[in-house]
Amino acid sequence: MTSTSLYFLDDDTYIALDELTQASGLEERQIVELVEFGVFEPRHHANDLLFSARCIVKARQAARLQRAFDLDSNGLALALTYLDRIEMLEQQLRKLECQLLR
Amino acid sequence: MKYKDYYAILGVERGASEADIKKAYRKLARKYHPDVSKEAGAEEKFKEVSEAYQTLSDTEKRAAYDQLGSYRPGEDFRPSQDWETRFGREGFEDFDLGDLFAHFGGYSRRSGGAHAGRGFKMPGQDYEATAPLTLEDAARGTEVELNLSAPSMSAGSMRGSAGKTRVRVPKGAVDGQRLRVPGKGGPGVGGGLAGDLYLNIKLRPHALFRPAGHDLYLELPIAPWEAVLGAQIEVPTLDGRVNLNIRPGSRSGQKLRLTGKGLPKPGSGAGDLYCVLQIVTPTKLSDREKALYEELRKISAFDPRADRGGAA
Repeated sequence: MTSTSLYFLDDDTYIALDELTQASGLEERQIVELVEFGVFEPRHHANDLLFSARCIVKARQAARLQRAFDLDSNGLALALTYLDRIEMLEQQLRKLECQLLR
Repeated sequence: MKYKDYYAILGVERGASEADIKKAYRKLARKYHPDVSKEAGAEEKFKEVSEAYQTLSDTEKRAAYDQLGSYRPGEDFRPSQDWETRFGREGFEDFDLGDLFAHFGGYSRRSGGAHAGRGFKMPGQDYEATAPLTLEDAARGTEVELNLSAPSMSAGSMRGSAGKTRVRVPKGAVDGQRLRVPGKGGPGVGGGLAGDLYLNIKLRPHALFRPAGHDLYLELPIAPWEAVLGAQIEVPTLDGRVNLNIRPGSRSGQKLRLTGKGLPKPGSGAGDLYCVLQIVTPTKLSDREKALYEELRKISAFDPRADRGGAA
């Protein structure tokens, strides 16, 4: 059994659009639409879009939701925004729980 | 091969219309979708439901499934010779029914016929797995062995057993962190690229430290006199004990920061360790201690409720 290194899907690594489509299963058109909705905020580099590796997590989530619920980009953007908000609130909740005395 | 009753899983009759199947699936998907539901076992349930829907929503797959016949769920069965000839599948006693149909569509749709599957190229399945790590392992980096035998759902469809794989998690992972291991997913078909493995990091609860991102919180019990007079006390950190100065007049709930003593970040740097002071009062007192407290009560002008005008 060989051992492989993992890559953090965080904001320090950037990937190209084709890598994001391949990793998520979303079509290029869908990703571009989600960029227009502000779900993804890629960096512009020459004529290319560069996405933070963290986008892979969200794009895969988008692909799952799209498949399961047949959502259009509008609905998808809305669902992702709410899920982001829930995640942010849950993080805040965890942080506050940490500070509470047992 | 073990039989799965896809109709029962979706809660529809065998003769249900396409629209009814879609409706039933939508309802269950909303209930169990792992991105939406926090219900226990939701993910497993969603995989089952998706597998059923992927087969029953495809006319060709549904016809083939129906012709397998009807068995009890979990019952061992073997497709008839006629079925095998018709659909070009042979020798799959060890196959998972979901696997069979996941590939079934890919071959026949893309190549226009059941037997014409050879030469068809398909990338491998992506896997998702969760690695529970101790804080110490997350801080140092560690090697984990993942058992990928549970069916895994991802960008394409559902696949069955994948065996074990060993991966190295670099230092600096935090709770909820996602990592990607290229090429560690399912094998490609017909020379297609292997899929990727997506790993979710879950930190096991620690006896002392509670993590929030890369920062750690430590509850630090101190005696009333330590709070009043100040003290130097030893506190545990992830890399050994350090001395901490408690200033005179410290209060419960005060946070003392030990810079860089939290979880290491990938590359360089680290979060901070916050010691949350908790003044603990003694419950068993000797006569002498009791006498000293009595004396303190007599001579002290301290009124903790002064800002409420003396009322509790």
